Amino acid sequence: MIEVRGLTKRYGDVLAVDDLTFDVEPGKVTGFLGPNGAGKSTTMRMMLGLDRPTSGTAVVNGRPFTAYGEPLHEVGALLDAGAVHPGRTGRNHLRVAARSNGIPVNRVDEVIEQVGLGSAARRPIKGYSLGMRQRLGIAAALLGDPRVVLFDEPINGLDLDGVRWIRQLLRRLADEGRTVLVSSHLMSEMQQTADRLVVIGRGRLIADATTKELLAGLGHRQVRVRTTEPGLLVSRLQQQGRPARRVDDHELLVEDSTAVQVGDLAHSWGIPLHHLSDLEQSLEQAFLELTSDSVEFHGAQDTTPQQTQEVAR
Amino acid sequence: MSATRTVGTPTMGAAAVPVARLFARTCAAEWTRLWTAKATWWFLAAAAVTMVGLGTVAGFDAGGDPGSAQGDPAWAAAEFTAMPAQFALLALALLTVTSDYATGGIVPALQWTPRRGVLFAARTVVAAGTATLAGVLFALGASVAGYLAARPVLTLPLDVGADVLGTVAFVFGCGTLLAVGLGFLLRNTAGSLVSVFLLILVLPLLLPQFGYGWLTDVADRLPGTCALFLLVGEPTRPGITETSSVVTMLFWAATALVLGWLRLVREDANR
Ligand SMILES: Nc1ncnc2c1ncn2[C@@H]1O[C@H](COP(=O)(O)OP(=O)(O)O)[C@@H](O)[C@H]1O
Ligand SMILES: [Mg+2]
Repeated sequence: MIEVRGLTKRYGDVLAVDDLTFDVEPGKVTGFLGPNGAGKSTTMRMMLGLDRPTSGTAVVNGRPFTAYGEPLHEVGALLDAGAVHPGRTGRNHLRVAARSNGIPVNRVDEVIEQVGLGSAARRPIKGYSLGMRQRLGIAAALLGDPRVVLFDEPINGLDLDGVRWIRQLLRRLADEGRTVLVSSHLMSEMQQTADRLVVIGRGRLIADATTKELLAGLGHRQVRVRTTEPGLLVSRLQQQGRPARRVDDHELLVEDSTAVQVGDLAHSWGIPLHHLSDLEQSLEQAFLELTSDSVEFHGAQDTTPQQTQEVAR
Repeated sequence: MSATRTVGTPTMGAAAVPVARLFARTCAAEWTRLWTAKATWWFLAAAAVTMVGLGTVAGFDAGGDPGSAQGDPAWAAAEFTAMPAQFALLALALLTVTSDYATGGIVPALQWTPRRGVLFAARTVVAAGTATLAGVLFALGASVAGYLAARPVLTLPLDVGADVLGTVAFVFGCGTLLAVGLGFLLRNTAGSLVSVFLLILVLPLLLPQFGYGWLTDVADRLPGTCALFLLVGEPTRPGITETSSVVTMLFWAATALVLGWLRLVREDANR
């Protein structure tokens, strides 16, 4: 359990984190979402006692992280996978961690196997790919079998296999009853992995809800229809109070409706349909709607929706 | 089929870890950190070669010219080789601290040991302790090498040896503590290396050259001047005594450590 209360961090003129309050509960994967520069890393650094909050608190299982003498038994975290001495071998890096928290060295070899680092563990880290560094960082986080894990953008640099592996790992850790917080700026990723989402933009809390709620409550349902009579269908639908618009000669989009409703109506009017489908509301769109006001780094020219999308990607 | 493991109640990692055990484990981790870095071995090798090598050369010199050196203690080799060799040891202690800022390694270090005072103490003790202990061993090696090379011209009296090695240990100890403190204070390898060079080598030699009394007084209170005086008895100026040198060196080391500790304990980890 992580409890964040009124957490605020100011760097000079930059308000990186602005009065955040939320809980991260055990037994779930909580996604921590926000565009680049939203303040995710800063928040996690404050949770781990690395940066001092300007105000507010973050406690992990009832006490501030800095109150733990040997925290690896309780909290494991991957922040910046590149923040390691490049000359050391992966195994020696983990041995330092084990020593510092009184963890037996055979546990080091266990986590090396668990993250699939294998024989690379005996080579200097400078030869590692970003994906291997991520695995090393995750190995360090799991070393003490902690009840709370925090991963900052763990997907970065991983290949498809690695991404799948992380998803399964997060799932398993949560199913074992652990508290799992994982940050990302990739909505599509979180849609697949997270049970709960904490969304921030410009340091502020935008949403704190289950992934389902977020998908359902946001934006609107749309139906895609292809027909030989688009003009007639649009006017009939509009009479019914269902906004619809032409996409091209044969296709239209109906707002706030389901395929069943549109199909039944078209049938009752005797209008032939050649295609009928619900448009899946993706978290990506939901996220863009949520954060479009709070993206910090818009493109240089102006702020059309496409550009916002680029930034969020 | 997946047998779900449930996570037990925590017992370890809590605030209740005794500080002595925590410190011991952090020291063990720091020691592993130190010897698993290649730079450590380079600096130690450089110091060893400088001290033992110069000691041997001086021994052969004395052996080839028995008249003037007859019966002198070989321990002198420890003292005059310590002056150049200390830079390798200071660099070792300093880089132990600053390389962790350069690589970002301070972030995992503080994740594993969030009590910053404990990390500070352990890192200081291990870095300065290792460099100093190695330096004293090399000083012993330099003296023995000089003695053997000059045989039978030089002597190796034990009481003198204890005194000399004690002085070498004090000078290396204060110097490496100063280096560690500056490392924690400045967090930057180039900046703190330059500062150490200024305080130990450049300013002590440069300031008295100007001929202003007050500049010379400043030079007399620099750690480099005092280290030189304690090791080889130079420069001979009225303002420099053994006591003043000891106090000055302790003062510099303590000041750097306190400032370095304050920065580590108070500020964000690595920004
Ligand atoms: N040391 C710092 N000094 C000044 N600004 C900073 C510093 N660290 C982070 N920031 C700013 O704080 C904001 C949040 O950054 P960060 O937490 O890294 O975002 P995220 O991880 O969500 O991409 C950004 O605007 C960033 O530029
Ligand atoms: Mg980040």
